Amino acid sequence: MNRTLKAGIKLSLFTLIFPASPLLAQKNKPAKIKAAALQVEMIESNEIKLPAEFQVALYENLIRQLEKNGFSHVYRDGDRNAASVADLIVLHSTVRGFKAGSERARQVTTVSGATSITIHCQFTSPEGTSLLEQDVNGKVRFFGSNLKATYDFAKKAAHVANENFSTPGRE
Amino acid sequence: MTSRTTTVLVGVASLFAGLVIPVADAQQASGPVKVVQLTGLAGVKDNAKGTLSVENGQLHFVHGKASSDVSASSIQDVVTAADSQRAVGGTIGLMSMAAPYGGGRVLSLFRTKIDILTVQYRDAVEGLHGAIFSMPIGTAEVIKKNLVAQGARTTASGEPAASSSSLPNKEQKQ
Repeated sequence: MNRTLKAGIKLSLFTLIFPASPLLAQKNKPAKIKAAALQVEMIESNEIKLPAEFQVALYENLIRQLEKNGFSHVYRDGDRNAASVADLIVLHSTVRGFKAGSERARQVTTVSGATSITIHCQFTSPEGTSLLEQDVNGKVRFFGSNLKATYDFAKKAAHVANENFSTPGRE
Repeated sequence: MTSRTTTVLVGVASLFAGLVIPVADAQQASGPVKVVQLTGLAGVKDNAKGTLSVENGQLHFVHGKASSDVSASSIQDVVTAADSQRAVGGTIGLMSMAAPYGGGRVLSLFRTKIDILTVQYRDAVEGLHGAIFSMPIGTAEVIKKNLVAQGARTTASGEPAASSSSLPNKEQKQ
């Protein structure tokens, strides 16, 4: 009888704690930083030589993915209109690692020839104060051209922005 | 005997001529070039097929009934590179992956060389854009020369850069 009572108490405690855990986790999550708009700077690759097509594909895919993720105002590098925007966040991206890979090797062997890019993303205020820094990588392992790694990077970087910044009309 | 040798020599000469003439033709092409716009051109879908030409100080891309122009003077950088793509692509290429005894993998070994043209340009509000085109081998350098002659700037000069796919498979780390 005692045993049944103890088991009942344990079960009821478990049912109380289990649904409450996501609520606790949400409380611990840091608050999103307000961003009225994002400005994407051109990808820098001073120390690591990156082919021009990769640099442009990274930049264009990044802008596209940020717009897809609900950032209604994404300004391009050098855009004059960005200067007058309050709560502007500037995204600086620097190439930290690049493995060119080979589409032919991927198609023939499946296991070799992966293309990978590692990029250091730094979100700053217009004055240059760092708000968030993170390394994001892009890969293509099996199918697709080498440039597909740039799409993978853009999706992940947009996810990072989405997790940490909130724009008006989108929480 | 002599006629046989002559026939063989003529055959070999024609074979070499056949290999060299298309490349020479491609390099001299100054009219519209068939290209694939891989990404970046404003208002044009990725992988859109069309023609690219340089006329009246504009980089002119025509895709179906739509066309897109970029002023040569707004181009900050124009770079060419060499790459390769599967000779058998599209749906047939994808279906061939399921071929028995690795037949699809063998097909992957047959690749055609292509040129890649990358341009970076500024719009009316100074926003930076980039566009990438793939085209037949030998044509990207001609378009680049025409663009530079009409006011485009370039950071790379001389021979096309090494192919992204032919680069040594070595990781660079900071």
